[in-house]
Amino acid sequence: MASVQFRDIRKSFGAQDVIRGVTFDIRDGEFVILVGPSGCGKSTLLRMLAGLEDMTDGDILIGDRVVNDIAPKERDIAMVFQSYALYPHMTVEENMGFALKLEGRPKSAIAEKVRAAADILALGPLIDRLPKALSGGQRQRVAMGRAIVRDPQVFLFDEPLSNLDAKLRVQMRAEIKDLHQRLGTTMVYVTHDQVEAMTMADRIVVMRAGAVEQIGKPLELYDFPANTFVAAFIGSPSMNLLAGSVQDGAFVTASGARLPLPAGASARAVTYGIRPEHMVLSDTGIAAKVVVVEPTGADTHVLLRVGSDDVTLLARDRVDLAPGQTVHLAPDLRRLHLFGADERRIERA
Amino acid sequence: MSDMALSTPRPAPKRRSHGSKRTLRIVQVVCVLIIALVMISPLFMLLVASLKDDRFQILADMGSFKAFWVSDPTLNNFVEVGGMSGDLAFGRYLMNSLIILFVTVSSGLVINSMAGFVLAWGRVPGKVVILALVIALYVIPQESIIMPLLIMVSRAGMTDTFTAQILPWVASPLYIFLFYQFFAQLPKELYEAAEMDGASPFRIYRSIFMPLSLPAMATTSILMGIESWNQYLWPVLVTQTAYARPIAVAIGTFFGQDSIFWDRAMAASVLMMLPILAFYIVFQRWFVSSFIGTAVKG
Repeated sequence: MASVQFRDIRKSFGAQDVIRGVTFDIRDGEFVILVGPSGCGKSTLLRMLAGLEDMTDGDILIGDRVVNDIAPKERDIAMVFQSYALYPHMTVEENMGFALKLEGRPKSAIAEKVRAAADILALGPLIDRLPKALSGGQRQRVAMGRAIVRDPQVFLFDEPLSNLDAKLRVQMRAEIKDLHQRLGTTMVYVTHDQVEAMTMADRIVVMRAGAVEQIGKPLELYDFPANTFVAAFIGSPSMNLLAGSVQDGAFVTASGARLPLPAGASARAVTYGIRPEHMVLSDTGIAAKVVVVEPTGADTHVLLRVGSDDVTLLARDRVDLAPGQTVHLAPDLRRLHLFGADERRIERA
Repeated sequence: MSDMALSTPRPAPKRRSHGSKRTLRIVQVVCVLIIALVMISPLFMLLVASLKDDRFQILADMGSFKAFWVSDPTLNNFVEVGGMSGDLAFGRYLMNSLIILFVTVSSGLVINSMAGFVLAWGRVPGKVVILALVIALYVIPQESIIMPLLIMVSRAGMTDTFTAQILPWVASPLYIFLFYQFFAQLPKELYEAAEMDGASPFRIYRSIFMPLSLPAMATTSILMGIESWNQYLWPVLVTQTAYARPIAVAIGTFFGQDSIFWDRAMAASVLMMLPILAFYIVFQRWFVSSFIGTAVKG
């Protein structure tokens, strides 16, 4: 186990900066997830940590050791790839034992390690199979097994669940989290799926365009997003963000709709943020027209139009609404988010 | 509006009648048969002629359908070729060809695949230029470099040796490119996973990429094997005695200055074809077997 430190990491391809000065620490034994839209640099950062990608500037430390110029195999890390990258001509056992074989360990020791890892991952009966005879989930487990047998200081995961179907993804999510709790090893995980990040991470690093937007515990990010980008990115369905300005104690949108504000709200606010689950239908309040009703069974997503803005409401109960109908919304003002012209969150006075 | 849409008559889909489909199929089969016949007829003629005893008869039959028919088949020609006692026994020429084939193909597989691997995955400065050069070299015909090559071989004192017949053809731009293409399309993660596992580039080549390249190896073996087996011009130039001569050159001895022994030449040609045919049959199954697709992704 070891901590990881990124110090002012920069990477550019010619004139284009893909990583623009990233600095943060990962504590020993922590499960940190890098999340962000495609092209935000999260995978590049992970690959730099793995030693598979050169960096233009900065330092990466694993434990107390600067690893900038150290080859991947010397870094004492293991990585699980999105495509699993299993060796197709080797059995599960050979796949898992390959790294140990390269280290020159005796056969009996390799077999013992592989068995132990296979037991942890419930791969015991599949040990003699080739990857082509395994299902997607099993292949994913073998890829993790290959990492576990090496007993690394840090585990790296590069979107490991992207190729699995939705049901299996939920199952593997729990398995990876359980694995972390059992092994206690530092894990760095990259995903573009904020639900994965919210459910698994000790801390989340939200990235955009090569820079870190916010770092924090999942619920911190949900409750106190630092800017409009994080506000929109974290949470599903995503937060309603309406542009406008504060006038006479209310927030007036571009199309003239008046939204209530709590007492003492900053007059600097230009974006009004409210999560779909923090509004309820009421007899009075913001007038909105129903556009689409999407029942999911457990709850109902209602797409509404307030003036010219689209707003989503997440109703915990079943609602009887028809498109075209006019309803009234009451936002929970304690859970309102206001953002300034610089997109940053305005803290309450 | 929806009513209107429903009531609008749809144009009836054009269907090819059952009869015209069948005619098309017959035409297809006939075409394929004609092509197959054109391809096979020389081979069949060779086989038929090798079973005829009289070399003048073979010549006389050449212009007619009799070339495809033997009324009194005999294996005499094969017996004569087998018992041939010129500078070397026929079996020795066969052995020479097999030695040249085996060494060329086995060393060619290693050299060309390694070169392809390095071009696909190695960190080599000027890789693109090297690759472009390799491709450019491919378009140069063998015959055009044969004189300078002959001078080099002769200066190196290698004339009349097996080495002279093997060494120049071991590395080939075609096969380097073929391996390059094959290795380059393997997923990057496979290389990186092995790298993370602690494998050196050579180990990655030997333990991961080479075992995965069986289809490319088989293709190269077949093409290289046929090429080596059929070499004629180069062995004629580079050998002065019969010692290292391959079978293709030996067959040439049946075409004397005064007379041509068509009967024995035909039998010898059939014998020459057999090993390469066996070679193809052994390796051709690798053409179709490829299990790489299942390696990555679910």
